[in-house]
Parts: sequence; structure tokens; C-alpha cells
Amino acid sequence: MTRPLVTGVLALLLSASSAGAQSKAWDILREIVLVPGVSGHEGPVSYFIQGRLPAGLKAERDAMNNVWFTVGSGRPHILFVAHSDELGWVVDKITPGGRVRVKPGGGILPQTVEARPVLIHTGRGEVAGIVSPRPGYDERPSQGETPEAPFTAEAFDIYLGVATEAEARALGVAEGDTITAKKTITDFAPGLMATRAVDDRAGCAALLDAALRLKPETVKGRTITFAWDVQEETGLFGASELAKTLKPDYVFAVDTFVSTDSPLESKRFGDLPVGKGAVIRAVDSSNVTPRTEILKVLAIAKKRMIPIQFGNSRGGNDGSVFLPGGAIDIPLSWPGSYAHSLIEKIDRRDLEALTDLILAVISDWK
Amino acid sequence: MVHRIIRTLGWTAALTGMVAAAGAADVKSLTKELFAVPSTTGNEEILAAKVRGLLPKNMAVEEAGLGTIAVRLAGPPGPTLILAALDGYGHMVGGITPEGYLTLDRPVPPPHARFDAFLLGQPVIVSTAKGPVQGVVSQPAIHLLTAERRRTQVEGFSLEIAYVDIGARSEKEARAKGVELLDPITYPAVLTELAGEQWAGPDLGLKAVAASLVSVAATLADRTGGDETVLVWSAQTKFAARGRGARPAVAAARAKAKWQPKRTIVVDVIAAGKGDGFPFPGGGPVLVQFKEGPSDLRKAFETAAAEAGASLQFLTAPDSPLSLPFEVPPAEVVTLALPVRFLNTPSEVVALKDLQALRDILERFLRAGGAR
Repeated sequence: MTRPLVTGVLALLLSASSAGAQSKAWDILREIVLVPGVSGHEGPVSYFIQGRLPAGLKAERDAMNNVWFTVGSGRPHILFVAHSDELGWVVDKITPGGRVRVKPGGGILPQTVEARPVLIHTGRGEVAGIVSPRPGYDERPSQGETPEAPFTAEAFDIYLGVATEAEARALGVAEGDTITAKKTITDFAPGLMATRAVDDRAGCAALLDAALRLKPETVKGRTITFAWDVQEETGLFGASELAKTLKPDYVFAVDTFVSTDSPLESKRFGDLPVGKGAVIRAVDSSNVTPRTEILKVLAIAKKRMIPIQFGNSRGGNDGSVFLPGGAIDIPLSWPGSYAHSLIEKIDRRDLEALTDLILAVISDWK
Repeated sequence: MVHRIIRTLGWTAALTGMVAAAGAADVKSLTKELFAVPSTTGNEEILAAKVRGLLPKNMAVEEAGLGTIAVRLAGPPGPTLILAALDGYGHMVGGITPEGYLTLDRPVPPPHARFDAFLLGQPVIVSTAKGPVQGVVSQPAIHLLTAERRRTQVEGFSLEIAYVDIGARSEKEARAKGVELLDPITYPAVLTELAGEQWAGPDLGLKAVAASLVSVAATLADRTGGDETVLVWSAQTKFAARGRGARPAVAAARAKAKWQPKRTIVVDVIAAGKGDGFPFPGGGPVLVQFKEGPSDLRKAFETAAAEAGASLQFLTAPDSPLSLPFEVPPAEVVTLALPVRFLNTPSEVVALKDLQALRDILERFLRAGGAR
């Protein structure tokens, strides 16, 4: 299908669609983005998800905090999976001066948290801190040849308001505690926002909303599994654990499409606009979806008048670990600008289209 | 100008419900009130209106042009000028692209070289005639960064490639939200409460200092008449006058010309917590003098601090643009500064102990009649 034709059809579908009227995905998302769950420490968010599942569903949970449920029986077995973990840091040590140092990593541009508030999730509650600006931040830059050292997570020096290690520990801070950026929600307009952890809490919210709206009769002799897995950001570990026991025929990983719909990006690929519908993440760094499967999803969306786009971008997805077991990975998504930032942008219409698409796939997939 | 007046009204409406009873003298509450209000050089009217609203009704508020406001108290002949800033460093809308993104400029030079770099990937507020518009400063997605783009767009981020995304798709849509050229762009007023009775937030030092003057004015409101002490909340303190030689702040030069003070106390912020040789947070306000040694003003402040039971730090430093015009003998000038950790970053840290001490010392100083 040519791009202009797709665009035209999509515009028509978007205007005609009444899907999403019953969706609560947006409200769920606004709540769930604020629940902490750094990779490897997803307890709070997985409990949040489990606590909101329909009472009649028998959800399972493993030691890693993967949560899933299965309904129906027969083939094909279709798995929908979203990851509940978020980017963040882990306390490495506390200095004698009461400053917190973190382990390398994080997945967020360190410059964007320089001189910014963070929250340390301790056993006794949240403790606020400020990532100190780099030393000499307000001094005239050196005219010498030596380039400035990059600002990295290893350089983080988090100020808590105390002056000694003992005072920091008295607040409850300890090695191994997780740290997230202090989150704020930017509301551009009703139904259009930016915040931290949209990746992949939007996927979690879409699955949760779909679970709440799922009608048992639509399953019709097939097996449907919904899973919220962990540790995606650090290496797809939660999905890998699930893949040991779950052997789906199809896996629909529900995760961010890294859109280039923003002013600093090249438009060479990934230019799927925010607000123009759900996304088939056809090609990414971990998976190439067969064209035949893309067309099947497009046909379902068309039949259900669900606005949809497809494209290629970067990043991996949890569905890819099910490929060796025989599954076909068809990642579903929304166009997300500013991926892996404090300002991940999402449009309500896209999220609701995604939820509608999940339900449509359950109903119509052959 | 009509635009600016409307903007004031828009913000006033947006802040409805946050306004405390006029005359509330608690400096912490007042700081929170002022913290919520954006203010950049040339766009001080919203904060000025807020200050005005917090002052006791019986105080006559004087306007001194450019957005500066003042009140008068009884005091020794002189007059004595107590001057604090209304304006913080910030950005403004420099243009609107056909795609609806906003480009940025600054009304005044930045306080340091990394000032603009803090914008990357941050939420911001555009203060428009229709009220606040929320936006974000665009950043590249980390998945798509090449080494070259990391160097130019992240490490080399500058206003040249800074775009504010307000969720508009065209210039027309951006304007429909109320955005116009010159609208101020600031960080959202998110206050972070740290251990040790410390607060952090953007422009917190400026707002805390302005609040301390409001608190003192409210407490001493019954000392009106005599007109010899002038408390000034000044606009355009970050903008330097043009000309050869030392360049004072425009606001200071105007204040000197208008009030001809015998003694001036500039109430300001000062970088702290940077190690040896710098003031330390929690050690009390810092009395900054151009010349080392005793002076009537220094003695008066030492006495005021002792009476208030507050610590005072001392520093000898070159004249700042704000104090420069007043340093003409026999007139005296000192700067009484609030120590601020991470000054001129999005998370300025203020020790509430220092803030309270600043306010109490100023009150004692004025109650005693200043340096007679």
C-alpha cells in the first residue's frame, strides 16, 4: 500500500472512528506513570496492575514480578505483552559527605537530569534529592584544548540536604535503593501530554484497559494471554523468563514506537505523527514483522475503523524473545516523541486506538 | 503594553485560590506564594502584581517605572533604600516556526555559560496573554542518537537548536493558544523539599529574597509616614546600562537617580556551598562589602543579627552591577545576600534557616532605625 493512500485512508478512519469511547486507558496511564518501578524493582507497579485486573481473572505472578493471565483455549495462542519497568538509577554508595552516587546506566540522557530533582525510593518512603550540577558549571569555560568531561550517571552526585553519611542513612537511604526523576505531567491540551515513563506504562495501560473491556465471547476457541513483564529496559529479562513457559503462536509486544515527529529528528524514517493513530512497529532493532502479518492487522483496523499507521524505527521489543520458540512478533504501538526522556509525548487518541486495536485483534485474528 | 496587562490578568486568574490573605508575614508561606509566579527581565508585571497583592492594604504602593514598585516606611533621614530584584534570568519566545514550535531568545545575557543547556528535554511554561501554556523543550530520542548528533545536539545544545513544543501543529495553532513573541518562558514552579529544612526550585533564591521584603514590609506596615525608608522591588536588575566603563544595572541607576539614598542595602542572592572561600548554606545571610573594614552599615547589621539571634557571614567582593551606582561616598552601600546552593540552575537550594535569618535581620535593622 502506498504511503499517500494509507494516509488518506487513515485520515478518513480517524474522523469516522467512534472507538475508544469506553476506554479508560488515558486515566489509567496518568495514574500508572507515577508509580515507581525501575528495572529489577517493579514490585509497586506490578501490584498496581494486578490490583486493577478484573476480579474474575486468575492472574499469575512470578518471583521476578512478571504478571500475566490467560483466557480461552485452543489455537492460535496469542500473547500480548507490555513491560512494566521504567528507566532510573540505583544507589551505589553514599559518600562521607552524605551525597549519593549511582551505578552506571539509566537510559536517560544524563544532561537532562543535571540540577534536577530525583526521588530515592527507600524502605521508609521517598527521599528527595537534587542531582548536583557539574563542578564549575557557572564558571567561564576553559579556553584550553582539553574538552569538557562528559556528564554521565557515574558523575551524579545527588544532594539530599544533609552533610554526612550518617544523616543520609538516617533518612532511610541505602545502597540498592532505586532512583527516578521527579515526574511532572505536561498537559499540552486535553488528551495530549508529556511525562516520564510513558515508555512503557502506556503499553501497560493499554493492556489493562483491554483486559477490563475484554468480552469472553470474543476469544472463541483460542488462547489469549496478557502479560506485563519486567526488566525490558535492561535486556528483555522478564520476557525471556516468560518465554520459558509460554509458547505463543503470535506475540503482540505493546511498546513505544520511537517517532521522529519532533523538530530535532531526521525524517528519514520513523516519521509517524503523534495523534494519527495506533502503530504497527513493523521493523525495529529486534524484529522484522512479515508483510503478510502487517496486512492482516491493517485489514482488521480498517474493518473496525481504527486509525492506524505503520513504519520502522529503532529499539528492541519483548516479543523478539519469543521468536526462537516459533512465535511471530507483531509489535503494536503508538507514535511516541522524545523516547527515553522526561518528556515522552503521547496523544490520547493514539492510546485509545491502540486499545481498540488490541481488542479487535483478539476478536478477529485468524 | 496592552498585551502585558492582559497577561497579568491571565496569570492572576490562573493563580486564583493561591493568594493568601494580604499582610501574611510568614516568610516561608510568602516564598511559596511568589515561587509560583514567573518573572523574567521585562516581564516582571505578574510578580509585581503578586507582591502588591500581598502587601497590607494600608501601604501606599509607589510605581517607579519599568515595573518597579516601592513602599515607604519611617526611618532615619536619608533616605535608606532597601532594594531587591523582581526579575529572574529566563527566556522568551523569539519566534514561531511554521510547524508550531517556538524558538527561544533571552532578554539579557545568561548568568553563566551552561545556563541555556539546562533547557534540554525539560518542561517549560509559556506565560501568554491567555494564561500559562505548557510545553517541553525538544530533545532527540536516545534510540536515534548517532555519535555526531550526540555531540552537536546534546553536548553542544544551545538556543540555536532549542525548540519549545507546545503541542501545536502550525503557527496558527500556536497563536490560537495565545502565544506571542516575547512571551516569557520559564521552568514550571515545582518545589522540592529536601532534608534539613531546605527547599529547591527554579528561581527560588530570587523569590525568597522578594518574599523576605514583603514579610518585613507587612510587619512594619504601622511604621508608615516619615517616608525615609524605601523598600523597592525592582524590575530589570539583570539588564546592564549601556556605555563605557563599568556597567551598572539599569534598575540600580534609576533607583539612585530617583531616591538619592544616603545608604543602600541591596538584598540579593549569592552562590554558596562551592567550597572554601565561598559562603556556606545554613551559615546565615552574607554581608558583602566592596571594601573590607568597619562601616556604619556593617556595624548596624552585626547588631541586628545579634538581636535576631542569627548568624551573619561576611565577604569582600567587587561591586556588583546592582550595587555599583550607590558606591559614591559619602553614601554607603552593602549587599545582604541569601546563600543559594546551585545558584542559577533549575534547582536553586535555599536553607529556610538562612531565609528566616535574612528576614529577621532586615526587620531588626529597620526597627532600630538603620544606621543612623
